[in-house]
Amino acid sequence: MSYELIALFMFASLMALLLTGQRVFGVIGAVAVLAALPLWGTGGVEIAFAQSIKLMKWYPLLTLPMFIFMGYMLSESRIADDLYKMFHVWFGPVPGGLAIGTIGLMVVISAMNGLSVAGMAIGSTIALPELLRRGYDKRMITGVIQGGSSLGILIPPSVVLVLYGMIARQPVSQLWLAGVFPGLLMAGLFILYIAVRCRIQPHLGPPLSAQEREAITWEERIRLLKAGILPFMIFFLMNGLFLMGVTSLVESSAVGALAALGAAVIKGRLTREVLENTVRKTLGISCMFMWIILAALCFGAVFDGLGAVKSIEGFFLDSLGLGPWEVLILMQLSFLIMGTFLDDTAMLVIVAPLYIPLVKALGFDLVWYGVLYTMTCQIAYLTPPFGYNLFLMRAMAPPDFRLKDIYLSVIPFVAIMLLTLMVVMIYPQLALWLPSQFQGKLQG
Amino acid sequence: MTLLAAYIGAVDHFNRRVGRFAMYLIFVLMGILLWSTISKYAGAPALWTLELAQFVMVGYYILGGPYSMQMGGHVRMDLLYADWSPHRKAAVDTLTVLFLIFYLGVLLYGGLSSTIYSLEFGERAHSVWRPYMWPIKMVTTFGILLMLLQAFAELFRDILFLRGVTITHPQEPGL
Repeated sequence: MSYELIALFMFASLMALLLTGQRVFGVIGAVAVLAALPLWGTGGVEIAFAQSIKLMKWYPLLTLPMFIFMGYMLSESRIADDLYKMFHVWFGPVPGGLAIGTIGLMVVISAMNGLSVAGMAIGSTIALPELLRRGYDKRMITGVIQGGSSLGILIPPSVVLVLYGMIARQPVSQLWLAGVFPGLLMAGLFILYIAVRCRIQPHLGPPLSAQEREAITWEERIRLLKAGILPFMIFFLMNGLFLMGVTSLVESSAVGALAALGAAVIKGRLTREVLENTVRKTLGISCMFMWIILAALCFGAVFDGLGAVKSIEGFFLDSLGLGPWEVLILMQLSFLIMGTFLDDTAMLVIVAPLYIPLVKALGFDLVWYGVLYTMTCQIAYLTPPFGYNLFLMRAMAPPDFRLKDIYLSVIPFVAIMLLTLMVVMIYPQLALWLPSQFQGKLQG
Repeated sequence: MTLLAAYIGAVDHFNRRVGRFAMYLIFVLMGILLWSTISKYAGAPALWTLELAQFVMVGYYILGGPYSMQMGGHVRMDLLYADWSPHRKAAVDTLTVLFLIFYLGVLLYGGLSSTIYSLEFGERAHSVWRPYMWPIKMVTTFGILLMLLQAFAELFRDILFLRGVTITHPQEPGL
């Protein structure tokens, strides 16, 4: 059997086994070792365990549990409640204002944690009931929460970019900075969409009534602005100290986690229950990630040993005879399609090692490609059948939100993401300008 | 039957203990990283912080893995799975969990041989601190063993369920 055929067979059996619903890490690991054993005999046995050492030595991975902890601390202790009230009061009078405020809230949350799950939790517990009470359209509500929370992986800190940095051997700090403007652009386009849509169809997002607006005094508005101080402090302690070169990347994640803990203490929200839930859920999610990475690294090592990279390169460049841009677009499309089926961490660790050398060979910038990849992940989060945010939404939304509503609600937001993706593809400077300003000034 | 039930009970209990210990290692991790920052500005940057933090992280996720499995933390692709009856889920799992067990078995084998190598040759890390490698390899191998025991517990749980005996996972307060 030729190596290409083995690689294809591995991929097919991976897909088939994933469909049985067995734990993702177990499936990936099993397919990898089942291929390694006949290929390399006793040497193949060692491959699986060797990955645990590889995983350990990759130090930016230390940030992963820290950011997960931070996200859960913020959502479990409900520090974001006041913040939402602030956005509510300030944006309430505009049609669709609460939805716009929700996007604003999501941007702030995204700047304090690296996954979409915290944004989803905060969005569904704080924003969703309020939006529903104000008579917002169901599809508008779930779309805003799912789309907005996906910004968590694009706006720094970002766990997805940490993982990408590991595979592509690019500095995480550069990747994070590259995510800032594309993230803000995407948020801006979300807001624009909501504002325009709600102006045309006001029943989707009714503004606050005149009486309610009267009831809010200016003193209260100013007072609520203070709610922004605490998140700003957390943001500064983590990102500020890092950008000033005081802390290294990994250290700043620990500072951020401690800052979130401190904020909960200051607010008097740190009960035993909050601490227990935060610590336990952090363990659960961290373990899920780590075990998947462990298995996927093994899969990647076997794939690598098969020379799959060379054959994919040969396939794209020689067999199809395409130019660099056509290959790039084809790769993004294949990522999008795979993303609808595969878990994004698994996708990254399995497929990215095949693509990244190719991207490099084509002469593209790997930091820029990291941003493109992350946006593809965001889209993958929202697209059925396998989308994290869809699952979370289904679990968190009240029962009268039908699955159909949840699925259909993401369409405009996915369209905006695709638009942003294209804009960043055409204008790489959007991503690359900020990192170029900080080149060589940061500690890993 | 009672033997299987006793095994499940014992493994669940032990792994829960270990997992809840590992769960709090995150604070140790924060402490080490904070110390790394402080020591840098106190004039004597600690050389061991990064490596120690890495060791703690490995302990954290390896020892926490089985507990996370009890809590259903390891994600499944539930495109079809979500709509199946509990009976059908258990039936399919009894077969597919064998793949998981096989993978963990290979991991364990690799872990054992790698640990023995480290002990025999006194392997050290290539760094300024030069810590011995066998302690962390031992912890990793032990964690993989616990994961394997937990996977068998899940298998036995499904088998008992198919025969009409339900043994639930340990419940956490507030869940």
